[in-house]
Amino acid sequence: MPDILINGQTVQARTGQTVLEVALANGIFVPYFCWHPQLSSAGNCRMCLVEVEGRGLDIACNMPVSAGMQVLTDSAEVKAHRKAMLQFMTLNHPVDCGICDKAGECRLQDYHYTYNGEPSKSFEPKIHSNKYYNLSSRILLDNERCILCLRCTRFTHEVSKSMALGVERRGDASNIRAAEDRPLDEDPYSDNIVDLCPVGALQSRQFLYKARVWYLEPTPSVCPGCERGCTVQIWHRKPEWRLKALDPRQNASIARVTPLENPAVNGPWICNKGRDLARIFERRRAEQAMLKGIPVPLVDAVDAARALIGAAHRPAALLSNWGSNEELAAFKQYLGAVFAAFVKRDCEPEPGERVEDDLLIRPDKNPNTAGARALFGEPVAMLPEGTDLVLVWGEGCDFANLPRGAPIIFLNAYLRPENGYADVFMPLSVQTERHGHYTNFQGIVSEFQPCFPKPDSIADAETLFMALAAPAGVRR
Amino acid sequence: MAGRQLLMTFPVTANSHTLAEYRARGGYTVLENTLHHHTPRDVTQAVADAGLQGRGGAAFPTGRKWSVVVPGDGQPHYLIANADEGEPGTFKDRWILEQAPHLLLEGMLLSAYAIEARNCFIYIRGEFDLPYRRVAAAVEEAYAAGWLGDGIGGTGFGCDIVVYRGAGAYVAGEASGLISSLEGKKSYPRNRPPRLTVRGLYQRPTVVNNVESLSNVTGIVAHGAAAFRAVGTEKSPGTRLFSVSGHVNRPGVYEVELGFPWRKFIDEDCGGVLGGKPLKAVVPGGISSKVMTAAEVETLRLSHEDLWSAGSTLGSGGMIVVAEGTCMVRLLQIMLRFYHHESCGQCTPCRDGTGWMHRILDRIVAGEGRPEDIERLYYIAKYNDGTTICGLGDAAGYAASGMLDKFRDEFEFWIAHKHSRCQGRIECPIS
Amino acid sequence: MKDLIPEFEALRARFPPGFASSLVLPCLRRIQEERGYVADSDIDGLVAHIGVPRIQIEEVLSFYTQFRRRPIGRWHLQVCRNVSCSMRGAETLLEHLQRKLRIAPEETTPDGRCTLSAVECLGSCGTAPAMMVNDRYVENLTIAALDELLEELE
Repeated sequence: MPDILINGQTVQARTGQTVLEVALANGIFVPYFCWHPQLSSAGNCRMCLVEVEGRGLDIACNMPVSAGMQVLTDSAEVKAHRKAMLQFMTLNHPVDCGICDKAGECRLQDYHYTYNGEPSKSFEPKIHSNKYYNLSSRILLDNERCILCLRCTRFTHEVSKSMALGVERRGDASNIRAAEDRPLDEDPYSDNIVDLCPVGALQSRQFLYKARVWYLEPTPSVCPGCERGCTVQIWHRKPEWRLKALDPRQNASIARVTPLENPAVNGPWICNKGRDLARIFERRRAEQAMLKGIPVPLVDAVDAARALIGAAHRPAALLSNWGSNEELAAFKQYLGAVFAAFVKRDCEPEPGERVEDDLLIRPDKNPNTAGARALFGEPVAMLPEGTDLVLVWGEGCDFANLPRGAPIIFLNAYLRPENGYADVFMPLSVQTERHGHYTNFQGIVSEFQPCFPKPDSIADAETLFMALAAPAGVRR
Repeated sequence: MAGRQLLMTFPVTANSHTLAEYRARGGYTVLENTLHHHTPRDVTQAVADAGLQGRGGAAFPTGRKWSVVVPGDGQPHYLIANADEGEPGTFKDRWILEQAPHLLLEGMLLSAYAIEARNCFIYIRGEFDLPYRRVAAAVEEAYAAGWLGDGIGGTGFGCDIVVYRGAGAYVAGEASGLISSLEGKKSYPRNRPPRLTVRGLYQRPTVVNNVESLSNVTGIVAHGAAAFRAVGTEKSPGTRLFSVSGHVNRPGVYEVELGFPWRKFIDEDCGGVLGGKPLKAVVPGGISSKVMTAAEVETLRLSHEDLWSAGSTLGSGGMIVVAEGTCMVRLLQIMLRFYHHESCGQCTPCRDGTGWMHRILDRIVAGEGRPEDIERLYYIAKYNDGTTICGLGDAAGYAASGMLDKFRDEFEFWIAHKHSRCQGRIECPIS
Repeated sequence: MKDLIPEFEALRARFPPGFASSLVLPCLRRIQEERGYVADSDIDGLVAHIGVPRIQIEEVLSFYTQFRRRPIGRWHLQVCRNVSCSMRGAETLLEHLQRKLRIAPEETTPDGRCTLSAVECLGSCGTAPAMMVNDRYVENLTIAALDELLEELE
């Protein structure tokens, strides 16, 4: 275990570590662009240059520790070199900050203010290159902003293995390019390169120009796209920036989704399905309780449901494996004795969707099969003979397959034609409106927090289960 | 002749490059003898004791480079002859490839024996035409005669050589860039650690040596380290090939015993400056070595220590003679245009810096120079010195700072007057 | 490219095992020798044959000066413009060629006969000014020698 000195302070290191890793682990910040803990060390940005007593300057990200070495991360020479590296990097970099989505979370901006802060020394006009280049259908590339750290390229070679990106030409004419057979379009992890890009060269088309990042805040959540249960950050307007002038939907919409780093589950990555959570959560919502398609107040629907439950001899329930652990437990507590409960598979893989790989994607496209299975056993295909009432919770149930003549109580969040066929329909809240936990396929439990207030006319499933358990005729 | 000769020891004829002629001169007897009577360790010891310095540009002690490769470590080792010769002003490896390819092959075989390399490569720049045909033919001759392949000389030592052609990139002459290219990729140099002798070609221990360095191994093994050290100087043993070009009457490749007086070499061996003009400057070892004034040339011998102590280097052995009346601003413009074109683009200071320097020179030459430009050039050179993945960034900086150190007044003149002090002349008019 | 496969296999056999990726440069050179440039279908074929990612071949084709993806004229005149050649008259020769052929560097004459390029050091500084005509070096150039050469090029 070699001890090394950084800025005169002794720190412990492990053989095989680099000086950069040791410094960061000990709270000593050394700036860097191209290094990333999950990628190979490219050592091309030269921003992490540090001084080693007796050896001069060299990059820290590729510098093995040796016992007794004396590293200076803030000497005059190091500072002068950092300024110079930034001078080189901003030589041709367009001052696009006013129109660049990265502003506010841009490493180049941050380092410029911290380490350089001086105007460019150059008298040459900036070299122009492609802007708004479609790297894929999801990602825009601006070659002028790119600092050629090659994080994006390394990601597609080392992590997602799509081999989608590379560099054309050389010198200051170098440009990041996608392979000509467009594998980036097929790479379900492509959007991670937008997070990786330390500047505004790679932009997500779906987030483009939506909002300035300082108006947004992230809420920790769990992606429901498959049983991996990657933890994510759902970005939305900060409460203080919810403006009356805006369409209320904008105040309560998902601006973007990014990974929430999680060493046990997904590391720093998520797949594109997680990026597209708005496609799931912002579908048109069911807001009205109904009896056979006729809108009624929620209390009336609850009463009608209770009556059906009271009259049934063999009620069965098809439970959602999108239900949180708390909701599932509530069903068991309040209605477990009443219903023969079976878990259904809400979602199956869509045509063209990657089913499974050895990175993150899992074949079960539901977030909480494990949680549901723990309480209710394996999912079933058919209900028992003689079922005379079906409570359907969540999506994925084809009513044509249900026992003929059995009334249907349907609880769902989204606007669907079958909502109107159900004898009783009650709208539900979605994941982004409540707190809860999912258990992933490895048994790891992850938490999601609410991002938005729940609409007034809609109840949580837990509340409804408790209400349905009360005897008929008793109003809550 | 510029001192004793070790390599150019035979008359060059239409056939002197062939195997038959090489054998007639005693070729491959050293190899045969060594394989039968000496160990690999004997060879490495001889090369280390001889103090052979790399002849590609860095003058790194060859024995020290080899010593990092661990004998018997159970993994393949590779030997690569760097025949990428792209340093402007340099064409001396070309002489060996064209006229003495078997000298290179025998040297490679001895070196491969020493470092336990079964597979060797000659990475030759893609443009080379006759040198490629000659060395490829020599390899085929060697296979046919049993000097390559299995069981060489009836011993257990086997060795294969593949001649690998580049495709037009100066940066492929840098050892790690060369390896990237040999792996079938773009010629991106690599950061060290790890050294290439630890993890090189396909992550195996690899020795990359210059063509001339390898060609010296045969003589060292044949005559011993002491005999090699008896030639040249104490700090620069042996001889070096110099390719001489520019404003000189007899351009060409010359072998010079290290320590030979520089001015004498130019005047007597190379026929002196074109048209009898006064000497202005000499670029000693390729444009990546700092230019020396005529006054400095006068005082120096051609040795590594002489040039190092004077702030320059023998570099690649590419000597460019510059006559009085030549515009050094235009020369630097051409040099910086070269570095800009050849930068691989990986690392920040070189990628952005070489383009920046080139454009500053273009602007000065266009009559739009500014007084700050000279300090800018020094700034860019300073922050390319020791900060880059490979030496290209540093080299571009040396070319610029070298010219500015010695000929600053020409640059100041052009900036102030918006034109050259000598009509931008780079040719040497012979009256 | 299919006709070249036996040659590629013979070449592969000369490398140690595990060196498939190294085949990229020599195979591209052979393909270009045959076709005059490397076509998109050649890239597909090489990917299938060697098994390297397509992006690697695309990068190599754009990184190295000698590879091209478009046809050029029958005669590629590559004049060195580096230091020693310029000091012995290369700039004058280049200007002469531009005037005579009425094209700028990187252009091809309308009849498809000549493509002109200004290239970096060819390692022929001792016989400067020098150029390459397709694969061959032509050295010790003068205006007269250039004119004579042009006469001979069909």
